[in-house]
Amino acid sequence: MIPTDPVERDALAAEYVLGTLDARAARQVEQAMETDAALREMVAAWEARLSPLTALAVPEAPPPGLWGRIATTLDRPAAPAPAAARASPFWRFWALGASMVAAGLAALLLLRPVPEERLMTVLLTQRDQPAWLVEADGGALRLASLNPQPVPADRVMQLWALPQGATAPTSLGLIPAAQGRLTVTPSSIRPEPGMLIEISLEPPGGSPTGRPTGPVLFIGRLAAARGA
Amino acid sequence: MDAETDLSTLLTSVAEGDRAALRAVYERQSVRLFGVANAILRDRDTAADALQDAFIRIARRAAQFDATRGAPEAWLGAIVRHAALDIIRARGREVPTDDPALGDQAVAPEAEERLSASVEGQRLRHCLDGLEPKNRDGIILAFVHGLSHPQIAERLGTPLGTVKSWIRRGLQSLKECLA
Repeated sequence: MIPTDPVERDALAAEYVLGTLDARAARQVEQAMETDAALREMVAAWEARLSPLTALAVPEAPPPGLWGRIATTLDRPAAPAPAAARASPFWRFWALGASMVAAGLAALLLLRPVPEERLMTVLLTQRDQPAWLVEADGGALRLASLNPQPVPADRVMQLWALPQGATAPTSLGLIPAAQGRLTVTPSSIRPEPGMLIEISLEPPGGSPTGRPTGPVLFIGRLAAARGA
Repeated sequence: MDAETDLSTLLTSVAEGDRAALRAVYERQSVRLFGVANAILRDRDTAADALQDAFIRIARRAAQFDATRGAPEAWLGAIVRHAALDIIRARGREVPTDDPALGDQAVAPEAEERLSASVEGQRLRHCLDGLEPKNRDGIILAFVHGLSHPQIAERLGTPLGTVKSWIRRGLQSLKECLA
């Protein structure tokens, strides 16, 4: 929470600029700045005080292709477009009824005591039907299928995470066949707000390239559940 | 887009969607800014990701830049730092901190020269010199290299609580000194 005491607010602004806040606190400051002009002023004043320190970083030429990457990204639509992946016919028919299941689960979650901000999302099909409930638990992700469906015999489902700012998703492993629930604990990344979670259809053994090769079946973005 | 157009003017054009202006900003600033990202991430590939994220933000937020309230270099530097910090936070700050280039050489002589190249830099350097050495190192490790409180504590061999209060006090002293 953003403190009301001016001294504490200024100390928070200073540590935000210094970079020592954790992801959650930094995000709270950024969100508060959107509406809190005084906090924005404090942050701007700290940026002005400390910015000369960037001169201590050793200047270094970026990789030659980087401007091209930036220009390409700017030419793309702003949001990731999972719908761009070709629909795989087998799952098109089963999402009926899943939204009712999802509504029930959401209510259950709301009835549970919530000690702190919870990160969760519902992975949607390309037709925006809920398919998986995903909840972060510390460094782990718990997944529950809202309507388990068989995967074609010659295909597997692979789970991916794309942290905000990352350019390539990280594989979190294969989803065991016919399993409606699983918990994964990624070693290299940590669940965070804004992280994209997606499940793609891949050949047996998983994507041979380290990136999704098949259609993205389900996708969602982790967000903090509020108001509970 | 001649060489005389200043950065503030370029950013005004960027706010209007001028891609050539953004490219001019990139050409003038990317070496400095890539260094800023790489000091935090210490990995060229990841630093490139951070610089890419930063330039997307610069393109989208250029209208928020206000030349009456600060230098364009500082505004650009802040965007790059926060883009890099977002990446290390997402990775649980797993960037190795036992890099010998950190800490002891954080204020290498040539770096001090770069810091003293501006009036603001000279003032800040003067104020930093007034802090306890470990306090100053903690602030530099956090700002320049993106170290968290626990990483600074480990690096400086100091209890976490002490580091937190030092940094807080150090920042307050800097504020008073710069006022």
